[in-house]
This record gives sequence, C-alpha cells and structure tokens, in this order.
Amino acid sequence: MSTERAELRDAARKAFSAGGLAPAFDASWNTVAEMGALMMAVPEELGGLGLDREASGAIHTELGRTLAPGPAIAQMLVIEALVAADGLAERQDLLDRAMAGEVMTASLARADAWGSLTAVPDADRASHLLIVRAGHISLAPLEGAEITLRETWDKTRRLFEVRPTGDGLVLAQGDAATALAQQLEAQMLFALAGDSLGGADAILELTIEYLGTRRQFDRPLALFQALKHRVADMKTWLSAAEALFWNRAADNTAGLQELGALKAHATSVYRAIAEDAVQLHGGIGLTMEHHCHLFLKRATLNNALGGDADHWEEQAGRRALEKAVA
Amino acid sequence: MTDALETLRHDVRAWLEANAPKDWRAACTTHEAFLQTQRDWFAKLVEGGYAVPHWPAEWPGGGQGLAEQKVLYEELARADTPRLLLSFMSTYHAASTLFEWGSAEQQARYIPRILEGEIWCQGFSEPGAGSDLAAVRTRAERRGDVYVVNGQKLWSTMGQFADKCLLLVRTSTDGVKQAGLTYLLLDLKAKGVTARPIHQIHGDEEFAELFLDDVEIPVEDRLGAEGQGWAVAQSTLSSERGLTLLELSARMRGALWRLADLIRENGRESDAGVLRDFGRLASRIDAACAIADQFLANRIAGLERVGDASLVKLTYSRTLREFTSLGLRLGGLETQYHEPIIFGGGMETGNWMADFMNSYAWTIAGGSDEVQRNIIAERLLGMPREPKTWTLAGDAA
Repeated sequence: MSTERAELRDAARKAFSAGGLAPAFDASWNTVAEMGALMMAVPEELGGLGLDREASGAIHTELGRTLAPGPAIAQMLVIEALVAADGLAERQDLLDRAMAGEVMTASLARADAWGSLTAVPDADRASHLLIVRAGHISLAPLEGAEITLRETWDKTRRLFEVRPTGDGLVLAQGDAATALAQQLEAQMLFALAGDSLGGADAILELTIEYLGTRRQFDRPLALFQALKHRVADMKTWLSAAEALFWNRAADNTAGLQELGALKAHATSVYRAIAEDAVQLHGGIGLTMEHHCHLFLKRATLNNALGGDADHWEEQAGRRALEKAVA
Repeated sequence: MTDALETLRHDVRAWLEANAPKDWRAACTTHEAFLQTQRDWFAKLVEGGYAVPHWPAEWPGGGQGLAEQKVLYEELARADTPRLLLSFMSTYHAASTLFEWGSAEQQARYIPRILEGEIWCQGFSEPGAGSDLAAVRTRAERRGDVYVVNGQKLWSTMGQFADKCLLLVRTSTDGVKQAGLTYLLLDLKAKGVTARPIHQIHGDEEFAELFLDDVEIPVEDRLGAEGQGWAVAQSTLSSERGLTLLELSARMRGALWRLADLIRENGRESDAGVLRDFGRLASRIDAACAIADQFLANRIAGLERVGDASLVKLTYSRTLREFTSLGLRLGGLETQYHEPIIFGGGMETGNWMADFMNSYAWTIAGGSDEVQRNIIAERLLGMPREPKTWTLAGDAA
C-alpha cells in the first residue's frame, strides 16, 4: 500500500467512524464534503486535488465500512462527467458547487438500463441529475422533475425513480459520450467494489469480536474450531479480493471489463461474508436492533447495482475465452 | 518497478527465449525422461547464472534480493519452463539451512555440489508426525563419533532420486517435544537406508518413504547443536519465502487456455453458465495472483504479518481445486478414460482427472488447509488457541 493511500485511508477512517455505523445523512455528508472526498478526482487546475483511482478506492472502502448514507458514488460520477465536459461554460460553477457538497446524482443501475433512470440515490436532495443515454450525456436540473422513492430493504441508502422534465446541459455526444459512459460505468463498478470490501472487512471484524465475547457451554464461541475455520475462510477470501482491488486500482490499463469482474468478485465476497456473519451471530443476528442485517442488506444491494455478478462473470468468461489461447 | 528490475526482466526474458526447453512435456512420459529434463534444465540455469539468485554474491548469479528473485520466477512461469521439482529443495531448503546453520567446513563440503546437480530431499514427516511435526519419533542415539538412526520418514519429495537428506530426528524424550529434536545431514547411500517411492492416486511418484535401519551418521554431519533441531528445521521450512506460490499462481493463470480450449472443443462458447463459471474462476485466479504478489511486496518492505503466508497458500490451494474441478466437469466422460500422465508436468497438464487428483497436493502438503485456517484464526486474527486438554466421548469424566 502506498504511503499516501494509507494516510488517506487513516484520515477517512477517523473522520467517518466518528458517526458510528449507518450515521445520519447530514453529518455524514458534511464529513464527506469537508474532507475533500468530492474534490479528489478533479484536476488541480479545476480546483480539485488531482488524485488517482487509489485515492477514490480508499474513500469508498471507508464509506462502505461505516455503511455511510448519501450519494457519494453517484455524485462522483456527475463530477467525473463534468470534468470531461471541457467545452461547457457552466462547468466550473457546477463543479465548485458539486465539490462543496451540493447534491447532484445519477443512476446506479447498469448503463444500458440508464434510460429508465432507476436506482438514483438521494434524488429528493439533489439539484441535478446526470442522464446517460446512447451517444448523449447531459446534466438536467431536478426542479419540477417527477421523483418517486423506491423504498429499499437497505435502509442505509435511499433510491428513487426519476423522470426528468428536460434534457438540461449537454456534457458529451457521439463517440465522446460512448467513451465517457464506459468510463463512468467503470468508475461506478470500482466504487461499488470498494464499498463492498470495506463493508465486508467491518462485519468480519465485528463477527470475530462477537465470537470472542459470546459464551456458550462455558467457553467463548471463538474457541470452537468449526467457527474459527469459517472465519479463517472469510478472511482469506476477503484478503485475496482486497489484493485484487488495490492491484486494479493501481492499474491504469484496467477498464470496464476488468472492473466489472472485480465488482462481481468483491460483491460476491461481501455477500458471502455478510450471510455467514448473520449465521455466526445466531439469534441476535436476526434482530433489527443488531447491525448484522444492515451489512447483509447493503451487500445484496451492492450485488444488484451496476449489473449483477451473473452479468459480469459471463462477460469475464467471454473475455477470458478470447484471451486464453495456447 | 525500478529501472534495474525492468532491465533484469528484459534480460531474463531474452535469455529464456533462447534457452528455455520447448515442448518438454511431450517428452516426459517416463521417470527417466523427467529426470533428464530436470537435470538438463537445472544445468542450463546454472550456466546462465539464474539457478541460485538467493545465494550470497560470491556464487554465480547470487546476491540477488527477493525483488529480483520475484522477477525471475514470474518470467519462469511466463515461459512455462519445467518447474524445478528435482533441485528446488537442494537450492532453497538445503542451501538456505546450510548457509544459516552450517560450519564453514560443512558449507564447503556440501554447497558447491548442489550446483553440480547433487539432489537433497527432506526427511521431516513421519507416519505419526504430519501436521504435528514436533511429534517426530525417528530415534538417533549417539555412539562415539556417530549417531545411530532408526525410524521411518514419509513424503520426502523426490526422495527416491535424491543423494542427500535433511533429517529431523529425536535425540531425547525429556521436556517439551520440540526440545528433543536434532538436525542431521544424511547420505542416502549409507548402509541401512531404503527409499521406496509412494504411489500417488494420480499415478505419479514424486515422494518417497525412507526406512532407516541402524543407519550411522557421523556427528560432524549435525547442523546446530544437539536439541536445536526444531530451530534449524524452521529455517528449512521458511527458506522459499513465497516464490513458489507466486510462480504457481502465475502458472495457473497462464494455463487458463487449457480450459478455454475445452470450452471451444465442446462447443460451449455461448453457454452462459459455463462462461460464468469460467469468468468467476478467472477472477479468482487474478485474486490469487494479486495476493501472492502483495505478500512478496510486503515481505520485501518488511511488512509481513504472522499468518499472511497462510492466506496466500489457502487462496492458492482452494483456487487450484476449482480450476481442476472445472476442467473435470467440462471434460465430461472423456476425462474418465485413463490417459498416461506427464511426469513433472506441473499442476495443469490438461489430463483433467490426474490434475484434479493432484490438486490435493496443495490442500494437504506443506501444512494442510485446516492447519492454515488454524494459523489464520489464531495467529492473524487473535482468536483463542485450541484447548490443551480434552475428553473423548465415553471417557470417564
């Protein structure tokens, strides 16, 4: 791990953990903006920090670790699209507002389904919506748009269906829009992978802690080898997935397909760990008062957002088939 | 990656293009051909200065750091050369232990011969000492200038082809079991030694059983002091430093074409279920490569934690099982007709039933998956150790 990334991770962990698990929106979103998370990917000449994908990885893993609410992933897509729109007169003004925390959102559904604008986080708080259609990317004001909350099982996120009133400002068209759409989709997949691995690490840690505290048959559950071995397996899957995540974060050649495969892998690991965590917690894991279910629900949602594992694993298989020649 | 490492990579790659054996698997249909392939390839590496990068600088090609060795092993995997099955234990386990514990005289006697092709094996495991290595019972009794050794060793890699053996014996039964162990260097041609190959379930014989019957080993062939054997054995066991799993993971990624060919041969290129399984496996192999790579990078930077090596091994062993299982499944009935194996052909030879059975080598040898899980849980995650006392069902309470 590079020193800068470790420092950034430590700073983010300190800032985000102050609110506890699944913190309230206002405080959490203020922290995201205050620590400059929304400025990271913006070049310095546009007022940002000019940091790379590794930095964004450090932020998303920490947001996932605390089950942070808010539209960070969607907003970063808007920001990335604005950065790419270099002919746009309003660009700097919009970027400044977005970097300061004015909510601008986008759909987290798969790209080819983006026309219907589902799975839009925090649309009721947002001023603008990114619209990605074939060969055409725009940013529309949300004032007057018809928005419907689709209540999710995962209460750490709020997703809406949105029918915008107009097209708004055009950010990219034609081939440029196609390329940008791929870039945005790749970024979304990477962010979902990071969120998942942060969440998986957190629930694994909490599970180990629980097994060490909970006593049955006059001994801590952590003493039972059957349970220890399951935890060891979880740690192993997670560690390998984390290694892959940071490897892809540092690899500038990793594009949509590689990040799609990464997202499928990371969300599958998250789901497997969150599922087993509920089981290892026993009865308490089935109650609303305990945090286990929050991770389970976020894990299954992450699995479904951005194209599920079936989709990306099939893509990865197709690609491996093309590449793997004796 | 620094310029020096890039230059090294370039040099190694060019050297391998000119010198690596081609189509060597096709020749390895007998033990004899396998041994010849191994000997020739090792001699070539010695000549090229790539056989012992981890040895001190006075040796040909020595004085290289772990980062340089990593580059070398990545390139060996990429070129799909024969794995150094016959000589690896000599250049790593034997040499590293001798460099650390051997007297000047012992080093001078044994180390140069390794470069000439002398083969060492390891005599640690026993019928009653597998995962529980400290339970070694092979007995060595000091009589004047010799130890007289009696016992049985198991799973000595290449033991039937070896010249010498790193031998862990018991010289005392007092105190904790680790404290009674002593480390000896055994000449396998000595009187009273019988090496018998172990017939593995897939048909290869990569390991031997050693029977030691009143074998005399000169006291001067002891490494470390009497009773220090456990500490010396730890040097042996930690000598390879993560390169093997890095190499093996890279080879598994390189062998994905075998599964791809199978998918094409069976006309299943459009079968979504097959593509998903293949894609999922490809990602898992990428993750296995990434964690092996990260492990070595951390080791080079001095950031390794206790238990990290177990994460790498468990990742590899489980992924290899998946790789071979998928081959077996996709190959269908055809995999069930016996095909002769390729001796020393590696973990992925395309003989799917043989590869599938051989993949257990990594879930059992070198610390089974279950032992790795204990290490991860107890030493990396800080969960409580196994209780030292127990009651069997039916025992009086």
